[in-house]
Amino acid sequence: MAIQTRRSEDGRTLTIKIEGRFDFSTHQVFRDAYEHGDQEVIHYVIDMCETTYLDSSALGMLLLLRDYAGGDTARISIENCNNDVRRILTISNFEQLFAIQ
Amino acid sequence: MDEPLPEKGPLRVLIADDSDSDRLILQAMVKRLGHDVVAAEDGFAAVEQYRVFHPHIVLLDVMMPRMDGMEAAHEIKALAGEVLVPVIFLTSLSDAGALARCLESGGDDFLPKPYNRIIIEAKINAFNRMRLMHRTLSHQRDLIHARNWQLLQEQEVAKRVFDNVAHTGCLNASNIQHHASPTSIFNGDVLFACPRPSGGMHILIGDFTGHGLPAAIGAMPVAEIFYGMTSKGFGCGDVLREINQKLKRILPTGMFCCAAFIEADFHLNCLRVWNGGLPDGYLIRGNGEREILTSNHLPLGVLSPERFAAAVDYYRTEPGDTLLFATDGILEAENADGEMFGQDRLLEALDSAEEHGSAFDAVMAGVRAFTGAHLVQDDLTIVALEMVEEEALVGLDNRTPPSALRGPASWDCSYSISDRTLGHFNPLPLLLHICMEVPGLRRRSGEVYTLLSELYTNALEHGILGLPSDWKSSPEGFGRYYAERERRLASLRGHRIEFTLHHRTSRDGGELRIVCEDSGPGFDYKDLLGPDEAQARYAGRGLGLLRQLSVSLDFKGAGNQVEVLYQWDYSEPRSQG
Amino acid sequence: MSDKPHLDEEALAELQDVMEDDFDVLIRTYIADSDERIHALRTALRNSDTDAFAKSAHSFKGSCINIGAPRLGALCSEAEMAGNEQRLERAEILLDTIETEFKTICTMLENSLES
Repeated sequence: MAIQTRRSEDGRTLTIKIEGRFDFSTHQVFRDAYEHGDQEVIHYVIDMCETTYLDSSALGMLLLLRDYAGGDTARISIENCNNDVRRILTISNFEQLFAIQ
Repeated sequence: MDEPLPEKGPLRVLIADDSDSDRLILQAMVKRLGHDVVAAEDGFAAVEQYRVFHPHIVLLDVMMPRMDGMEAAHEIKALAGEVLVPVIFLTSLSDAGALARCLESGGDDFLPKPYNRIIIEAKINAFNRMRLMHRTLSHQRDLIHARNWQLLQEQEVAKRVFDNVAHTGCLNASNIQHHASPTSIFNGDVLFACPRPSGGMHILIGDFTGHGLPAAIGAMPVAEIFYGMTSKGFGCGDVLREINQKLKRILPTGMFCCAAFIEADFHLNCLRVWNGGLPDGYLIRGNGEREILTSNHLPLGVLSPERFAAAVDYYRTEPGDTLLFATDGILEAENADGEMFGQDRLLEALDSAEEHGSAFDAVMAGVRAFTGAHLVQDDLTIVALEMVEEEALVGLDNRTPPSALRGPASWDCSYSISDRTLGHFNPLPLLLHICMEVPGLRRRSGEVYTLLSELYTNALEHGILGLPSDWKSSPEGFGRYYAERERRLASLRGHRIEFTLHHRTSRDGGELRIVCEDSGPGFDYKDLLGPDEAQARYAGRGLGLLRQLSVSLDFKGAGNQVEVLYQWDYSEPRSQG
Repeated sequence: MSDKPHLDEEALAELQDVMEDDFDVLIRTYIADSDERIHALRTALRNSDTDAFAKSAHSFKGSCINIGAPRLGALCSEAEMAGNEQRLERAEILLDTIETEFKTICTMLENSLES
């Protein structure tokens, strides 16, 4: 498991790329990935192209990010999910809370 | 265990040497280092001294009469058990093989002759450090063992408390099959079932985020609300809203409960299902056809009360239809190669339901065969509910604890609700609650609830909304009936339903008079008191049930007022059919 | 073995420092002990008990080394080896040499105590 972050040129979009399993062991690293960013960030992108698995604690972490980014006004998109990851997000109806592409 | 020993301070050192002069020299040297010395002139005496003085470090000559150093070392090490007592051999041996044998017999090091004060001090200090480190490690290990044991004890107690609050309710009913590990609560899984006062039941199967105590904590309020509200007659929407609100309030962000809520009505033979975050459930028809009960809500505890949606899906069922739900533990059950059971194997198992006797048995057999030698994993919770004729279910035990208070004897009350409130508020739990203050009535909560509920439903759905009850007899009409009910409720104006309750006690029991009046047009009960008209207004069992439970039933006014007289005594209540 | 001194003065001085007032007790204990060892060696030799001979020589060697009598220690080592190798032919002569050396250092030690 590894997490990489990338800022867009204007500094307003933070892309967090999660490799491997996204589960409780990722907790601290995932938090660090967005909490130490500065205030300019208004849009978060979770890139799941290399994410193999997602468990319910990962869903919890996504909710924490959503709270951090402003709750109902948060702009978070989840991108490039494989079928398994997509299935878990769909079962939990997370498309009601996140833009899943 | 080692006795407490200050880090600084004299050590007790045992010296065994058969040469008097050598012993004198070593004794003097060790004493000069500030330690207490116990001396022995052979191995046998050394072991005896060890038993008495429990020295911290032992210095042993190799060759001694009666018992040599190696044998003594062996015995002392055995006596010391888990405590590290360094044994250092005193020797003028130069043969490598002999030296090696000393260490094999349990010695930790050598001290060559002639003795050197500096070397002796360095060795004693080094071995004392090792001894203390060993003691610290042993102590920490014991502490971890003790803490772990304590944790298991606490979990055991927590589980007992939990089992009392979150008992399994009526999961033992003849039409329910389920599997849940006894410690599933610590996997965050919950499975509850509770009979409703009006007959029928609620089932909740859920899976909290995380593991261990944090996951178990959220289950307590869920159980309280689920059993409390269900026993009081609340419907699934109310129970779900309450649970969601509670979890949203008490759980930290990121913790929630994926769950499915099932409300089964065995009289009308229908199911209301809410799925928020649990894998697909299945409704398996008598002919083997499957309907998929997909999650279409966010899990419980995620959304604020304003955004929470308690909308349920309705399913008309036949006796023999089976509903099946499982937590994701079943899809994620692993075999020896680390493969997961998965959706396809689950569907395959469901296809073989007939040969296994039931869908539940087929799925369990499928998982067991797949995981092979593995036992069915702990975090696997599954429930199957078979729809049955209402009469087939008798004496459901909901284990709701009785109250020890004496209740009111003579009381009257009047309660009315109007307009929009009719659409979104269910007055039955409140009315039932008032009646349940009378201990004699509490034992008949099912009958009282049925009276109240039949009166209310008929006043609302037929008296005010004018819905034709025969719609409910066909599957299409069933859906239409409830859609139409919602539609008409939304535009309700100028309508009300009023309940008036009168209660009196007698020597052997009591009497409850319930008057229910609605603002609808009523019907001409005087001319049309034939069974057909009455049946039309009181769908299905309605009128029959009311008559069966009460001593009298009268229509009044324009036919929009019904009075029921119910009597109770201290004998055992009739079992509810 | 004549290259080793009868007594190691430095070692003795250190012992004197360690033992303080008990130094003469130590010397007398050593002398009494050594008498016993020599007696034990004689008995073992008479019984042709090579094992007992080697063991006694080994213990004797240890206390000689500790007390600071290297030449006697070396002679004991030679005796231990002879015992271990089960050749006691020359042991008689060796034991005589040991006894002579022991008497020499006894005299020297007693002198040092009196001085």
